[in-house]
Amino acid sequence: MVENRAPATTLGRGFWIATTVIALLALAAIVFWSYTSLRIVMPPVAAQPGGEIDVLFRFMAATASAIMIVVAGYLIYFMIAFRARKTDPPDAIGVQIHDNHKLELWWTIIPTLLVVILSVWSVKVWYAIQIAQPTNGLVVESIGHQWYFTFRYPQIHGEITGEMHLPVNQPVVMNVTSADVIHSFWVPQFRLKADMVPGLINTIRFTPTKVGRYPIVCTEFCGTNHGLMSGNMPTWQGKPNPGAQYLVVDTPADFEKWYHGWQVKNAHASDAIATVSTGTISLAGGDAKAGQALFAQKCSACHAIAPFSQRVVGPGLKGLLDDPQHPNLVDGDKATPANIATILQNGYKGDIGQMPNQAANNLSDKDIANLVAYLSSLK
Amino acid sequence: MSTTAEHAGGIAGHIHPEPQGFIRRYVFSIDHKIIGIQYLITGFVFLVLAGLLAEIIRTQLLHANGGFVSNDVYNEVYSIHGSAMVWLVVIPIVTGAFGNIIMPLQIGARDVAFPWLNMLSFWIFPVAGLMLFSSFLMGAPVAGWTEYPPMSLLGGPGTSMWAAAIFLVGVSSTLTGINFVVTMFQMRAPGMTFTRMPLFCWAQLATAPLLMIATTALAAALAALFMERQFGVPFFDPTKGGSPIMWQHMFWFYSHPAVYIMVLPMFGAISEIIPTFARKPIFGYKMIAFSSMAIALAGFMVWAHHMFTSGLAPYLQLPFMILTFTIAIPTGVKFFSWVATLWGGKIHYTSSMMFALAFVALFTFGGLTGVFLAAVPFDLHVHGTYWIVGHFHYVLVGGSLTGIFASTYFWFPKFAGRMLNETLGKIHFWLFFIGVNMTFLPQHWLGSLGMPRRVPEYDPQFQTWNDVSSIGSYIMTLGILVFFVNVLVSMRNGKKAPPNPWGARTLEWQIPSPPHYYNFKHIPTVFGLPYDFSQPLPYKGLEEELTDSPVHAGAH
Ligand code: HEC
Ligand SMILES: [Cu+2]
Ligand SMILES: [Cu+2]
Repeated sequence: MVENRAPATTLGRGFWIATTVIALLALAAIVFWSYTSLRIVMPPVAAQPGGEIDVLFRFMAATASAIMIVVAGYLIYFMIAFRARKTDPPDAIGVQIHDNHKLELWWTIIPTLLVVILSVWSVKVWYAIQIAQPTNGLVVESIGHQWYFTFRYPQIHGEITGEMHLPVNQPVVMNVTSADVIHSFWVPQFRLKADMVPGLINTIRFTPTKVGRYPIVCTEFCGTNHGLMSGNMPTWQGKPNPGAQYLVVDTPADFEKWYHGWQVKNAHASDAIATVSTGTISLAGGDAKAGQALFAQKCSACHAIAPFSQRVVGPGLKGLLDDPQHPNLVDGDKATPANIATILQNGYKGDIGQMPNQAANNLSDKDIANLVAYLSSLK
Repeated sequence: MSTTAEHAGGIAGHIHPEPQGFIRRYVFSIDHKIIGIQYLITGFVFLVLAGLLAEIIRTQLLHANGGFVSNDVYNEVYSIHGSAMVWLVVIPIVTGAFGNIIMPLQIGARDVAFPWLNMLSFWIFPVAGLMLFSSFLMGAPVAGWTEYPPMSLLGGPGTSMWAAAIFLVGVSSTLTGINFVVTMFQMRAPGMTFTRMPLFCWAQLATAPLLMIATTALAAALAALFMERQFGVPFFDPTKGGSPIMWQHMFWFYSHPAVYIMVLPMFGAISEIIPTFARKPIFGYKMIAFSSMAIALAGFMVWAHHMFTSGLAPYLQLPFMILTFTIAIPTGVKFFSWVATLWGGKIHYTSSMMFALAFVALFTFGGLTGVFLAAVPFDLHVHGTYWIVGHFHYVLVGGSLTGIFASTYFWFPKFAGRMLNETLGKIHFWLFFIGVNMTFLPQHWLGSLGMPRRVPEYDPQFQTWNDVSSIGSYIMTLGILVFFVNVLVSMRNGKKAPPNPWGARTLEWQIPSPPHYYNFKHIPTVFGLPYDFSQPLPYKGLEEELTDSPVHAGAH
């Protein structure tokens, strides 16, 4: 039975020195996070209300660092000050205190206060992001695909690929959705993201404040090439990466120019919204001309009009219906217009790669009829 | 004839003869200690496998262009890594292994309430584990441990196998939860009121309802996913009228509480280890016990903080945000209490204590970065990035796994009867501690600077910190390797463990190491908290435990 009660330790000089050091370090951390350039942890902000998120981050980083320093500081001090020493009898014990209600009250009250402050502050910033942003801004839409983004603008037909542009200092209402699986639209410099969920439209509202080129990053796992849906990665294994896309913030004049360019380029593009049909698609009245335009827009990233063996991502598609070396399509069915339509409708994953399905390519039934007419016309 | 002691001793108050024969003793055993050890060994085997997968991940990320494995293989690897670590390593070890071995001993019981059910829980687990890993053979799932549809509907055929495997682990842990709750309610030794129960048992008591209730939501989600994949029942596919968001709700309704399943038991273990090696009563026993309960309860009401970018109605985000902040308060109380326990102590730096103290520091860090994520505005920035990866690895590796090591160094002498080597323990500690911080600290700013998670290749500007992280992970792995060497060597050649090598005061240390089949010759009577080092032990009836006297079967 142990009877050697250790002498009651009072708060000695060491404790107060340690407390002073810990307090100074905590203060230094607070000062640091209040004034440091956030460049060390985040790219410079380029939109409102992103700036308010940064201020909230400074507050959280300062408080969290202070708490970490207090916990770790006392932990380390106690570890050193109260280590068992060689000179102690082997059965030496510590001061037998069970609790201290005053202390426990304080370390419940102070965190509670911090939580209240943090809640109020976060709600305020939440309000700025979710509620206070203008609702009458430029409405744009982005659609996630495996593995790139497309965009729609008012008064531009069809979809835009590659870069998306926005005018500086003009409020934007951005709706996002997906043509296949869940993606997420993130521009790190804007501090905002929204998941692109098939069948659901999510909205973010913001105002770009700095002219520049900002990478668009997908942050929801979306399949094989999820990692490639990120700007700053223009090529991948020697091939161009269609997922390396930027959001470009322009001066109003530059934006006008870009916008007009697409209005002209897409003058005859189809506005069809992706539908997924289940039955057999009627190929009657397919228009090869319209199919050709559509092919340039939607298929040429992966297919060349060249012999089967000449691949881009998918095989070359010239002479699909009468290539003696390839009497069958990649899915093993005979090369007939109806079977081509089936591949366009359902997609196909084979040895070469993934041929996207109708929804992923954003094709209407009519589009498919036109494409099949076009592909059948290539001899 | 029927004394109070016998009643309190409950089902296991009666002693059955120890079964003979290898199979009945060590394979299909109904002894909670053997079952616990089976859990531990199986869990450690899966730790090795899932750890190898982690090293494939970090090796791939050494270079911005990846290239160590293909994208598709990479996606399978990290999906199985996460699933295995959560369901086959951490949960089974913190509940099935340590809960089983230690909890009945600490409450003075001779076994759990339902020993045969316990055996069933265990045997489901390795079967499910093999199923999970076998999914590699048929095209493993690719969409991470969260398996969000529609991606999970498109994943390889192994995804259905994954769902079935996780369903089975869920059944196993639900049964364990039921077993533990009944055991702790019915089988405490006489005099062991709830307010005298060791904190490790309190932590198990807070965890068990989570195992029972939350896991059912997961089971429902998995069954739905399985039916959709195999039979086309459209639960989640939006093109057929399903809702992918529904999966997220069901999944996180389980998986947020699962975070506490993974860490509460280790909170309990730390609460035993720190007072033992500081030679001091735990500071604020009641607050620590109560905060476990508060955390468990609140843990059920915050799941949608994982879904702030999914398209929740904005107003719905507020209660989830504020409730999540609130959990920081009871959690903070625990950490302050542990630090205060050290004050005025006589601290002995065993490997176990070092891991326990590292747990306090590392989990504080992981908890704090989690508060950032609870704030909707900041979460909109870092959701789905490496910040998340850094955060939850601090909680799960810096927290749960560090706690598992602290517990193993602490209780190994008790259940294995041999001491672990302290020098190897210290080497393990330093490699592991440095490795963990090097691996997971840089991931925070990688994320906020713009690196998404679950990517096999990435923006080249992030390569330097990824290299630091990968090298850190090798150091950490080396540490874990030292641990396994230590365990394997000490199991045969370690010093024989005395009954109470650490001078600890809970009941399991008052009986031989390893304990007899029936644990206690007499069920002891308890008349106080175990943490008061200046007082005699608060137990009666232990006099014969360390002698050669025969066991008293009926009478107590
Ligand atoms: C993301 C790249 C990609 C896009 C975009 C794409 N395809 Fe494909 N396509 C493929 C791949 C890869 C294959 C081969 C699949 C396999 O067998 O592995 C393929 C196969 C095909 C085939 C079958 C060829 C054969 O010889 O059997 C046809 C026809 C086809 N695509 C037409 C189209 C049309 C029309 C479009 C535009 C609407 C299109 N593809 C857009 C990647 C793409
Ligand atoms: Cu993606
Ligand atoms: Cu959570």
